[in-house]
Parts: sequence; structure tokens; C-alpha cells
Amino acid sequence: MTTAKGDAMTPAPADGELRAAGPDLADPAGAAATTKPGNGARGGRAGGLRDSRPRGGRLGPTGWLRWFWRQLTSMRTALILLFLLALASVPGSVLPQQGVDPAAVTQYYQSHPSLAPIFNQLGLFNVFSAPWFAAIYLLLFASLAGCVLPRTIRLVGSARQKPPRAPSNLARLPASASYTTDLTPAVALDSAAGMLGGRRFRLQRGDGWVSAEKGYLREVGNLLFHIALLALLISVGLGGIFGYKANRLLIVGQGFANTPTDLDVFHPGRLVSPSDLQPFSINLQSFRAKYVTSGPQLDQPLGYYAGLSYRPQIGGATKHYMLTVNHPLVVDNVSVYLIGHGYAPVFKVTDGTGKVRWDGPVPFIPVQQTTLTSEGVVKVPDARPYQLGFAGVFLPSAVAGAGGQLESAFPGPLNPRVSLVAFKGNLGMNSGQSQSVYSLDTTGLKQLPVAPRPLSAGQSEKLPDGAGTVTYLGYQQWVSLAITYDPGQLPALISGFAALAGLILSFLVRRRRVFVRAVAGPDGGTEVSVGGLARSDAAGGFDTEFAELSQLLRAEHDGRSMRASRVGDGTVDGPADFEDGERPRPAIPAASHVAAGPANAETVAAETVTAQAATAANPETLTGREEE
Amino acid sequence: MSWLPVPARIAIGAAVTALLSLATAGCDGGQIAANVPQSSGQSFVSRSYESTFYQVGHRSAAPAVSGTTITGQRLSLDSYKGKTVVLNFWGSWCPPCRREAPALGTLASQLLPDGVRFVGIDIRDEPAAALAFMQDFNVSYPSLNDPNDEIALQFHSTVPPAAIPTTLIIDRSGRIAARIFGASTYTELKDLVAKVAGLKS
Repeated sequence: MTTAKGDAMTPAPADGELRAAGPDLADPAGAAATTKPGNGARGGRAGGLRDSRPRGGRLGPTGWLRWFWRQLTSMRTALILLFLLALASVPGSVLPQQGVDPAAVTQYYQSHPSLAPIFNQLGLFNVFSAPWFAAIYLLLFASLAGCVLPRTIRLVGSARQKPPRAPSNLARLPASASYTTDLTPAVALDSAAGMLGGRRFRLQRGDGWVSAEKGYLREVGNLLFHIALLALLISVGLGGIFGYKANRLLIVGQGFANTPTDLDVFHPGRLVSPSDLQPFSINLQSFRAKYVTSGPQLDQPLGYYAGLSYRPQIGGATKHYMLTVNHPLVVDNVSVYLIGHGYAPVFKVTDGTGKVRWDGPVPFIPVQQTTLTSEGVVKVPDARPYQLGFAGVFLPSAVAGAGGQLESAFPGPLNPRVSLVAFKGNLGMNSGQSQSVYSLDTTGLKQLPVAPRPLSAGQSEKLPDGAGTVTYLGYQQWVSLAITYDPGQLPALISGFAALAGLILSFLVRRRRVFVRAVAGPDGGTEVSVGGLARSDAAGGFDTEFAELSQLLRAEHDGRSMRASRVGDGTVDGPADFEDGERPRPAIPAASHVAAGPANAETVAAETVTAQAATAANPETLTGREEE
Repeated sequence: MSWLPVPARIAIGAAVTALLSLATAGCDGGQIAANVPQSSGQSFVSRSYESTFYQVGHRSAAPAVSGTTITGQRLSLDSYKGKTVVLNFWGSWCPPCRREAPALGTLASQLLPDGVRFVGIDIRDEPAAALAFMQDFNVSYPSLNDPNDEIALQFHSTVPPAAIPTTLIIDRSGRIAARIFGASTYTELKDLVAKVAGLKS
């Protein structure tokens, strides 16, 4: 860190331009012999960081651009954008949305005549396609991509990098060991390289040193994570462009086709046209709901079963499927989910002229989930002499409540009753103004003086003023289906898993370096020093690995020198063991360890491990002591 | 210091994004009871109106549609070969359809001598209500009953109706020459039909 500090104090370049981190280019580990080698790389990075904020002087246009880009791709900006995105979604759930409920938007216009046009100008009725919403989303995307892409490129470089030069003083590394051997430095290095290479270290050799690095899988993991993250973003985007979501309410006995005209709610992606919708059709043949009938769990649903018949293609063969919650029907990569159910009482409405103007089920919407008390409206715009409208409440299991009023006690249809309030007049449908089929616009209507009484199946109510008769015939059940097509779903899932795998890999694998230097000692032997360094040893365990390695190295060297001494005795004239043709020096037994040989490896290992344990505690003192 | 925080920070970002998208997209297939259709119900065009005219050579053939009419007769589009056909997708429950109904009824009888035929396709309707609509608006032309949208689906790969009402004009050779989304008016529809049929207006 001293280097970084020193650099920061150097005066800024006269032109005030922001410069890329220059010190990064050359690996300073070998060059900066006086500094702690392990920090060499960090010094460079610290320099890079320092360069990222504008220093004194004026910024040129490129400077500003670069400054803007760094700001955009910074973590803080990404977080702020995320927060903004969340904030921007709020009006989307508070205010009615044109795409979801156009009738509610119209209603809002009527109830807030001065505010609504302003909201409309701001795009608040269409939040998710408003330009400012897109701006936040795109900025966030740019911010993430701008962060991930350059990092990916850097990681590719890092994964292909060769190990750096060995630092000159290995004893100063976090883990180190040294010993003497009677092999020549070149032979000692060869055998070290062979041993490390055999353990799948990536090697680089120089004059008097070998440096080895392992754990590039960490970079692969990192790379995988970054690429997967980009793929995730793209997949989500794909789904938004080519996918769609829709809802449809379907009464038992009815069917529908997957066309925009037949869907209640339809949210197409940007590039979805009606012809892109998969042409399947679905009929609801039966529906059954099971409930708990006793105990504390009373009224709780046990299961929903919707018997469907469907045709995957126009005019294709009919298939059957039992649709249950969370077990969607998948047709042509489109998922059809069961998301709701309710009752549709069946009415027959005869107008004042005696003609039947309505004869069928009308879906009522549950207002109380536990007992399925439901509300709905019946509109008979072609009744004469007056248009008729009814607002009703449906009770699946009617009982007398505390106040004498009827209420539903159970969601199942044990005692279904319906009570209606009747209106006559103008329903407001002929003007062409859109309105919800689930609500009655009573502005042009007059309530008829009929005392509401609960009708059971088959009972009629005669309306005053010669307006006609309404009969409650019974009930049907309906289901609500969610239809989703998201071509980005599978890629997103795969990317998610890949990102997770990459993350785990990059956390578990540590990247570590081992350096070996061998120099001829004053007494004719060769002094071998071994140093080790783990970069980001989060999981721990490098010390043990290094102890094992250095012990193996030493055993290898000792073994070699034993054999080499036999070779040197003159029986064989060739360098049988040495592929590079380096001829070993005649063996001069080294001071202490040669005698021990491979047989004593255990003892040596024990020594080294103890030493290393101490090293971890206090590297500086111990490396010195081990040299003796 | 530089190795760990970046994946970590991106992981946080990704997690937040994922949560956010979950929150905004809602959860498919979850909680059955809590999901109530909060929509306007059936889709139809409110105020928007859009008409498209296809030049000769850019027209796709209309499917050979047939079925039963509201009044119970068999009807096939084939029987109108050589005539210009105005095909109107409607429903008695749809306010814009009710608004355009008088104009369509008037034009149907006015253009009859010119070899123009009107056919309705009644979508998602209740038969009694549909019949009431026909009587109420004095609709003289036949309408195919299409409760399950099977007929609309057959237009899937040609010019699919994307809203109710949708009006298609089919030329004498059986090709779709024009399309109107939304409630059509007397003049606009008359001009478009005249253009397709080659009539002097």
C-alpha cells in the first residue's frame, strides 16, 4: 500500500485528462523488488482507482464522457436506478392502468376531471410503457452491462495470464521455506517444474526461478457468472419483447380460443402481433372444488380440479387435461394456469313485451374469499320498453346471520341464494363508451322499488312498471385462467443456474502461486527457496497445501540427488534421469538432509508443517529461522 | 480487494432485480383464491379506431368459414363467391358494437343492389341476448354464432381480428381487402366498401 500512497501524492498531469491506470500494464511484482511482492498487483489497482476520480484542472469532453460512464456503471448508480425502478412502479399499482383496466381509467377521468389529463400527460395511466420508465430500465441495463462487459474482458485476460516472475526474496512471501540440496540449480529447477507441472500448475520459467500458478478455474467461474448474468438480462428482455400474458374467465360448458378478441386481459410484448398467438382452443368441461367441512380448518380449500378439453391446433385432435393449481397445461410452449374460480348464477330475463332477452349464466366475482360471497351485475340492453340492469349478491351457502340478514357460511354450494336489486333506464351502452361488464353505471338508471329477497333456484321476481320478470334458474361455476408465454423463461432459468454455479466456483477455488528459486550456495550446494501466495484464500487451507507442496519438492530433490550421486559414481555415463540433457554435477553430499533421503520424508514433512503453522502466525520471523 | 466484491455486488444487484421483477410480474400459478379477475372483462376497443386497406396483390385469402346462424340456419362464406362481403365481428355485450350497429344495418340494405353482402360473427354471446340485439337494431343480415371464437381463430394466419368490433371487407375473389378495428361510422365504412367493390360513391 505504500506505493499507492506515494503515487497519489504525485502531481496530476498538466492537461488534467483522466488517464487509464498505467501502472497496471507491467506486472510490478518482479520489478519492484524492494516492496512486498505480494502487494505488487494491488499497487497497480490502487493506481487505477485513484485515476477514476477527476483531479484538479478542467475536464475535456472525453474526460467528461469517461467520467459520466464511470458514474453510470458504478455500484451506487445501479442501486439508485434499482430503487427508482421500484419507485416508478408504484403509480402502476396505485392508479388504474390503461392496459389492465381501461374502464377504470375512464372512471378515473370522470371522478377526477382536472387531475386525470395531467396524469395522462405524465404517462401515469400507462406506467410500464411510459418513456421515463423505459429510461430508468435502459439506464439500469446500461449500468449493469457497462459493469459486466469490461469485467468479462478483463477476466478473460486474467484466465489466460501466465504466472508472473518470481519475486527475488521468497522469504518475504506469506508462506515460504528453504533448504539446500546438492543438485545443480538448473536440475533442481527442472525437477521442481516437473513436479509442479505434474500437479497441473501453470508454469513460467526464468533465469534461476520457476513460478507456478494454479486455480484458474476461479477465473472460469467468475467468467461464467458474468456471462450468465448478461444472458439473464437478455433472456428477461426477450420474454418482454416476444412473450405475452393474458387472462380469461371461463364458465363450465364454455370454450375459448387463444385470440386477442377472446381474452379478457391481454398484455402482448412489444413485437407480438395477433398472428403470433399460438392457435389453440380450450373448453371447460367440468370444475370441482373440495373444501374442509369440519374442524378449525373449515372453509379451507383442499383442491381445485378443472377438466379441460383442448385442441393444440386449428381443427386438430382434441385432448384432455385435468388442470389443478400449480400444474399448468402447457400447449405449444404456452402455460395455462388455474388462478381463480367462482360462481355464475343463471338468469332468465323477460322484458315488458314478454320476450326473453337474456337466458344464461353471468359470472359473479367473489368479494369474500372464505365463503365465496360474490357480487355481479346483469345487463339487458335490448329489453323493452326499458333497458334493465341488475346488481346481485350470490351466497353459495346461505344461513341467517346475527342481524337476521342472510350470509354465506361455506364456500361450497350447500344452499345457494341470490338477491337482486333491479334498475331500469339507460345502461349507457349504446353510446359506444366502454364499460366494465362487472359493474353497473347507474347514472342513467332508476332503481325499481322491489324489496330484495333471496331467490332460490326456480324463483322469479316480477318487476314493477311493467318492466318484466327475472328468474334465477341455478348456478354454474367458472374458472379464471392465466395464459403466459415467455420464451425467455428457460434461458433465464439456465442463466440463473449458471450464474450460481459460477459464483460457487469462484468462491470455492482459490488462485495460488508457488515460486521456486535455486542459486548456487557458497559451499558448493544449491540453496533452494520456495515461496507461496494465495490470492483471496477465502476458504482457507492454502498453508496446508503449501506445506505439502514444499515437502514434496524437498523429497523430490533429495530423491534426485540420491540417484544423481549414484549416477555420478560413474557406472552410467548418461543423464538418464534428465530429459533436458543437463548433466548433473558430481554429487557432493549436502550438509544435513541428503542422508535422510526419501525414507525420512515423514519427519521432514512433520517439521515443515509445524514450521508453516507458525508461519501463518508470524511470517517474518519464521522464514528467517528456517534458513539455518 | 478487487476479486470478491464485484461478483458480490452484482449478485446483490441481480437478486434485487429478480425480486423486483417478481414483484411487478406477479406470481403465476400461485394462490388461487386471491386472484380475482380485476379486468373490464371482455376486450373491446373503447375510443380507438383504426382502418387498413390492402392493395391488390397484398391481400390474403379469407378462410372458408361456415357455421350455424343465430336464427339456426346453416351458412357458408362460400355461398357469397363473386360478391363483396363485409364481415363484422360483434357481441351484444360490447358498447362500440352497439354504436356501430345502426350504420351497418343501413349500409347492408343500401349496398345490397351493388352486390355487397353483410355477415356478422357473434362472439362470446348469449343466444337470447344476441337475438334480442338483432331485433332491437333491425339487423337484416345473418350472423354466425361463435360462442367459443372458433371462427375468429380461423383468421389466425390471415388478418386476425384483434379487438371487438372488427370489420373485414372481403373482395369479390375472396381476399381480405380491408380491416377496421373499433366502431365504424356510416361514411368511413361506405367509402371503404366502395373502394374495395369499385363502386362510385
